[in-house]
Amino acid sequence: MIVKGTKELPASREVVWGVINEPSEMAKLMPGVESFEVTDDRHWTAKVKVPLGLGGLKMTIDFERLEERELEFASMRAKGKGVGALMDMTTSFTLSEAGDGKTSMDWEADVKIAGPVGSMGQRVLQPIVNQQVSQVLEALEKRVTEASASS
Amino acid sequence: MTTVETPTTEAAPETTLERGYVGLDYPRKEDRRLLQGQGVFVDDIKRWGMGYVHFVRSPYAHAKILSIDVSKALAVKGVYGTLTGDEVALQTDPFFQIASEPGAHVRDYALAVGKARYVGDPVAAVVAETRELARDAAELVEVEYEPLPAIVDARRALDEDAPILHEECGGNLAWQGTYEWGDLDAAFAEADHIVRISELHFDRFNSTPLELDGALVEYNRGTGQWTLHCNNQFPGFAIIMMGPALRVGLDKLRFVTQDIGGGFGNKITSHPQLVACCLLARKLNRPIQWTEWRTEFHQSMSHGNERWFQDIEVAVKADGTLLGFRCKALDDAGAYLRYEPLGGVIWSQVTPGMYRWRNIRVDFTQVMTNKAPVSPNRGYSRMQHLWLTERIIDIVAHELGFDPIEIRKRNYIQPEDMPYETPNGCVYDSGDYPRALDLALELIGYDQLEERRRDAESRGRLLGFGIGSTLDSGTNNFGQSQLINPDLQFSGNNEVATVKLDILGEIVVTLGTTPQGQGHETTAAQVVADILGCSPDDVTVRAGHDTYWNSHAGFSGTYASQFAVTGLGAVKGATEELARQMRVLASMVFGCSPDDIELVDKHARIKGNPEAALPFQALGAIVNAGNAGFPEDPPPLNARYVFRPKFEVPDKERKFGNLTLTYAMQIHACVVEVDPETGYYEVVDYAAVDDCGSRVNPKIVEGQVMGATAHALGAAIWESFVYDDEGNLLTPNFYDYHVPHALDMPPLRTGALESPSPFTPLGTKGMGEGGGAGIHAVCAALQDALRSRGGAIVSDSHNPYHRVWAMLRDPDATRANVEVVSK
Repeated sequence: MIVKGTKELPASREVVWGVINEPSEMAKLMPGVESFEVTDDRHWTAKVKVPLGLGGLKMTIDFERLEERELEFASMRAKGKGVGALMDMTTSFTLSEAGDGKTSMDWEADVKIAGPVGSMGQRVLQPIVNQQVSQVLEALEKRVTEASASS
Repeated sequence: MTTVETPTTEAAPETTLERGYVGLDYPRKEDRRLLQGQGVFVDDIKRWGMGYVHFVRSPYAHAKILSIDVSKALAVKGVYGTLTGDEVALQTDPFFQIASEPGAHVRDYALAVGKARYVGDPVAAVVAETRELARDAAELVEVEYEPLPAIVDARRALDEDAPILHEECGGNLAWQGTYEWGDLDAAFAEADHIVRISELHFDRFNSTPLELDGALVEYNRGTGQWTLHCNNQFPGFAIIMMGPALRVGLDKLRFVTQDIGGGFGNKITSHPQLVACCLLARKLNRPIQWTEWRTEFHQSMSHGNERWFQDIEVAVKADGTLLGFRCKALDDAGAYLRYEPLGGVIWSQVTPGMYRWRNIRVDFTQVMTNKAPVSPNRGYSRMQHLWLTERIIDIVAHELGFDPIEIRKRNYIQPEDMPYETPNGCVYDSGDYPRALDLALELIGYDQLEERRRDAESRGRLLGFGIGSTLDSGTNNFGQSQLINPDLQFSGNNEVATVKLDILGEIVVTLGTTPQGQGHETTAAQVVADILGCSPDDVTVRAGHDTYWNSHAGFSGTYASQFAVTGLGAVKGATEELARQMRVLASMVFGCSPDDIELVDKHARIKGNPEAALPFQALGAIVNAGNAGFPEDPPPLNARYVFRPKFEVPDKERKFGNLTLTYAMQIHACVVEVDPETGYYEVVDYAAVDDCGSRVNPKIVEGQVMGATAHALGAAIWESFVYDDEGNLLTPNFYDYHVPHALDMPPLRTGALESPSPFTPLGTKGMGEGGGAGIHAVCAALQDALRSRGGAIVSDSHNPYHRVWAMLRDPDATRANVEVVSK
């Protein structure tokens, strides 16, 4: 499942880059994060609870930074495992100036969900993925706005 | 309601068996134990110390297996051991492949080796002291995968950039062949109309046995022999797959079955799991119990062949005479070729369907995709092709303005043509197709159809009527396998029965078959009773199959519509030999000629002298316990007979020859009512007419007709294996895969004709696989119902309500699939 879009953020590329390139900052943006642990500057782990039916789906997700070009591009891979689900996601962000101190962020994620949860299919999973993405983007917008104001 | 007609046919055979019990609705002998819960299914078999196996299955449709760590599972108390693909690769050879190149290069093992190729592909196995513990421990097996792109759509499988499942094959092509008979150019030159259909799709589904696959496997270290208590329905096939893979002779594999809760072909290809159980039984030195879970069955076992028909062209004369057709057939075999590519030739048993067209070309291609492997499924491979021929008939009628009934009658093979040689050399043995259609119309009340249509319209419903007419070809000539791989050595067919008279007069029959509900114990007893002059209640037919009985041959099993021919043919042969021996023995006692002896009321007696009679008990006792003093050896009263149909090896160059011995026939007629606002529809009336030659037990036949009808309606309306683009099965359990139950069944009227086969010992034909007729009957009824709302063309075998809604909304989109060129 590939989801992608463009988001205009009310902050400079430096500010946006500072948020999305900092694992602890990104952890704050992700919904349902119950714990977060940085292994090294390229690897970190989060335990998250994805809203899926009764009680939600608990997953342990290992993040790996794949590539970055400062202020311009970053990509990472996230592999998650929970009862009845395996997730493999590769995501990337491309930043560009949008004028007036704003930043345009093109983002894309290739999400593969396997296991019994995967058999629920896109008809069920797509809305959940969309909801998660939407929450991350809203939180990101809020966070960069705060960071921009304080800088 | 059941209606029976027995037509007088000039081809009526001379059967040597006078009807007594044969032909009666004799109560099923099996039912007493089954209805009292005393049946023995594989899951009922227990052994001390046995371990339960659970398979760890791939969550990915296509992935490299980087590593498998079983240590955490092994550390759990109560876990006996594990098995991985690496161990399997060391201890076994890949399964023999039926295919010629390129499919011949597939390396298929009991567990996935190196790569997983569909969601549900078993990659490891865990054995524990309870079933639940094995399943829990399987969760602890850590498999590191590298997901790969998956190919799900067969139409893209041969694209240059398509992911490849089996690199050793060089692509996803399994098998390809061209079939052509007659003179296509002449037929299309003669045609007044050419009807073109771009694409038709036969959907992926399977049958739903109540009992899942399973086995209890024991290994005897002293003899090196495995005993497999299982529910595999074709041991003759499983054993030749398993022996070479396990690197042992077939004498090291003993198959035992008793009661099997449905098979439908789906239980033919359980040999990979059985091999895994064999390896575990040997490794862990304990019996291994395997019972599949329902989701595993849906996910990984035996889907029916999905098939696309493309670029169809039909040559039609102005009066509706069909001259021929050509098309491409693209078959999706799934991830492994477990019984394939036999589907690539099986369809040609019924090449012209029920019609007289003589010019036919099919370019057949089979590909592999990241979906569950296919295997035979009730109506295997013929069902898809017969659905095509029926779709052609109805689309031609729809586009050229012919009555679907009249065009069928005009083009049906006629009773006076029987036995009829098809363009590819198959011989349809007997039948009266127009008469069967008339009977179906009568049963469904066709003369009141227009009145019912108006009534439905007054209620805001669209009424549609449709027909499906199919053949159930039975008793395979396995020589047809050489049409897809000339190097194969299989040909002909055989089945075995033994019948003996025991010491206290017991009549005991053993079969080579593996009945799954077909009533073999009953019908075999009816045949024996008529020959020996006793009651079916006096006959014990051993339940199930056991290699140790020596009552089996290479093709033994229960599959492909053949028991009434091969199984009962063997029973008849063995019983007649036993009867001969009994007469000889009685003649030795009485000092008369064997010809003077008759078998009546459980006695061997001198004809015309009822006082000179020996009870069967006396005959059994003489031979088995009191045989001294005979001047010459008395007969053993134990007869083994191998029934072997007289087949020739087909002509490989011309793809010509008789591929099956009998052709049962079905006409299904169906009435639907469609809600034009939602696409929801109901089957409101249904009739099924079956002609399977002489019926040994009409009630059992009717039961099979009803079962096949239920399967058809499930496939037509509710049952579909749907995959997403990444190869996830979206319908892996009963929540999404609805199997029709009693309340889903419409009012059903059954009718029967009896056109005895001139080629079989009892005039019988194999039967029970006629469900394809029902699939088409629903398609045709929907197309008829939608005629007044834009004239949509039904191009899929599976039509859930949302698809009907889409056809109502945009009929033109479906009509773009069809073009008529008139000269």
